[in-house]
Amino acid sequence: MAIKSKRYEEARLEASTNLELYWWVFMRISGVVLVFLLIGHMWMNAVITDLNSIDYEYVAKRLSQTTWKIYDLLILALGLLHGANGLRYVLDDWIRNPSRRFWTKVVLYSLIGFLFFLGSLSLFNHDFGVK
Amino acid sequence: MYRGREGQWAFYLHRISGLGILVFLMLHVANIASAMWGPEVSNALMKFYHQPVFQIGLLLLIAGVLYHGFNGLRIILMDFTAWGVRYQRQLWYGVWVLFVVFYLPFLLKIGGGILGGSHGD
Repeated sequence: MAIKSKRYEEARLEASTNLELYWWVFMRISGVVLVFLLIGHMWMNAVITDLNSIDYEYVAKRLSQTTWKIYDLLILALGLLHGANGLRYVLDDWIRNPSRRFWTKVVLYSLIGFLFFLGSLSLFNHDFGVK
Repeated sequence: MYRGREGQWAFYLHRISGLGILVFLMLHVANIASAMWGPEVSNALMKFYHQPVFQIGLLLLIAGVLYHGFNGLRIILMDFTAWGVRYQRQLWYGVWVLFVVFYLPFLLKIGGGILGGSHGD
């Protein structure tokens, strides 16, 4: 079961397994990191840049630099993991029927896993052809 | 636990915004990954997403990210400080102050773009 406690000490007592506690801690750490990464990401691409000018060229130039590859990989990995675990909390709350809950999770986790694969391929395995 | 009122709203908004962000993130990754199929495919998709209706969606998304992020920091303060839970309501209003400060530049820039008709070509 997901941990509902609002304090670390209580969370430790409530955690049914060590794994559940690790997720609880992970949500907080990844959350803080993502706040900074995402505000930076949105600022760079929506405030400093004219959003409407974004095209293949723009993405290719950005992703030809290792800094942004790593920056984006961090968002991709932390964001999808944070999102997948958040989704798990929601599904545990909202879907009462165990087999429907199970299959919903199977489908959605697979989709998230596939998108991580796709995203990391485009970050590291695609030649954008920037000279 | 939350006794309704602000805490309940904070919780529901956190959930809804979280789910919304996840849906966007998945679409966004698929969109950017389309670059692997070359500039034609990728540019066609991007042009599609430059329509005003998606820009309004983007404004909603950015609102969601800022709220979820700042409210997340509030949750962390409640978790790890002795006083956080006592001042959870005040902290929530703090979340909204931060939200407005950070949201304004996005609203002006993207909203201005929508009104100015600078989308697409």
